Amino acid sequence: MNILTMLWKNLWGGSRTMLFPARPKVSKGYRGLVRFDPALCTGCAICKFRCTARAIEFRAGKGEFTWSYDPGQCTFCGRCVEGCKTHALSQDSECPPVYLTIGELKNSYTVARKPPAPKPAAAAPPTAAGPTADSATGGAQ
Amino acid sequence: MNLTAALARLLIFPGLLFAVPAAWFFLWVERKAVALMQGRIGPPFMQPFYDFIKLLGKSTPPRSGVAGLLMKVWPLIAVSAAAGAVGLLPVLPSSGGFQGDLILLLALLELPSMCIIAAGFSSRSIFGEIGSAREAVLSVAYNVVFLLAIISIAASQHTFRLEALAQMPVSPVHWLGVLMRCLGVLAILVCLPAKLHINPFSLPNAEQEIYSGPMTEYAGPELAMWELSHGLEWVAATGLAATLVAPVVAILVAPHLIVWWLAALLFVALSFGVVLLLSVVAAATARLAIDTTVRFYWQCTLIFAVLAISSALFMRLRS
Repeated sequence: MNILTMLWKNLWGGSRTMLFPARPKVSKGYRGLVRFDPALCTGCAICKFRCTARAIEFRAGKGEFTWSYDPGQCTFCGRCVEGCKTHALSQDSECPPVYLTIGELKNSYTVARKPPAPKPAAAAPPTAAGPTADSATGGAQ
Repeated sequence: MNLTAALARLLIFPGLLFAVPAAWFFLWVERKAVALMQGRIGPPFMQPFYDFIKLLGKSTPPRSGVAGLLMKVWPLIAVSAAAGAVGLLPVLPSSGGFQGDLILLLALLELPSMCIIAAGFSSRSIFGEIGSAREAVLSVAYNVVFLLAIISIAASQHTFRLEALAQMPVSPVHWLGVLMRCLGVLAILVCLPAKLHINPFSLPNAEQEIYSGPMTEYAGPELAMWELSHGLEWVAATGLAATLVAPVVAILVAPHLIVWWLAALLFVALSFGVVLLLSVVAAATARLAIDTTVRFYWQCTLIFAVLAISSALFMRLRS
């Protein structure tokens, strides 16, 4: 009888599916489209290497680089966002929009390379002799 | 019944002109009701019609030899048989001539099922053959109960004539006869999910297991014909239940107020009710395995049907 109660509730409780092109509400922490902030990107291309779906392309040029993202290829795994040290990548927390033509959501940025950051001042030489390799490893033989 | 009336019955009501739109409508009602009960939106109203038209516009793969020819013929036979069964339903009162016979109606109702079995084997697809084998076993399982239920109703009325079965003596009301009729109809209702291949007896065309079984190799207009025959089977099977229930309802509600339009309305309303009931059963149950299905019909329901027929025979001996 439980199943009949469930069916009755479903019948009057409205549908959980929705008509095209409505999009469902998502839970907190939902991984949507990857967003790129050119101002923060250093062009290290770690995102390209972490992307196993080959959704991110990176082309290095003279004094600039091109970063491209194809949501049609993306599996929204978030590995690129995790790997980005400068937080130039982020992910939307909503469903990707509906698109009707191939490559409609694809985007590409050409970013000028930033001049290399000045090297930090060399650390002062240690006043006392540090531990040797042998002592550091405990001198295991 | 004169020729005009016979043609009107076969071509207009409850024949083709009524039956084809009703087939699409019942298919939609079943899909929509199941969807709503499962928390889905379900298909739009015209979807079965759109499906039919779309399939008609598609091409079929070329098939050579006798098997190819047979694959073209089976859906046409199934549609003709199902349409003939709908045309035979004694919805409207008639007088004289050929008025239909229960045995012919049962044969026509059974033909689409046999065509499905033959089609699966003709297609030489492993999925088709499995589906056909399942359909054959299912057919043997439920038909024993189905036929016993029908015979019990016929025996209680002393006739196989459809016109007579569609009416019950109003005065005096034979309450044991009404009870017999209700028992018989209940047994028929238990068989209808198997006849119409819906849950829990949808194993011949199990989409997730054997890719629609006998229909696997079908496409285009031939598949459209199968869909139409399935819809017509819905109309015929639910219509049969409705015509058998209608006299009971008429006796209970308005025994002396049966006019042709009220009979037609009652037929449509009862058919619709049966479709809704079957949709609830389909939504509430999961697919059973073939051995469980056979056990269900031959162990549980057979007792019920034997009870119905023995009571009917007892009633006949008493009278």
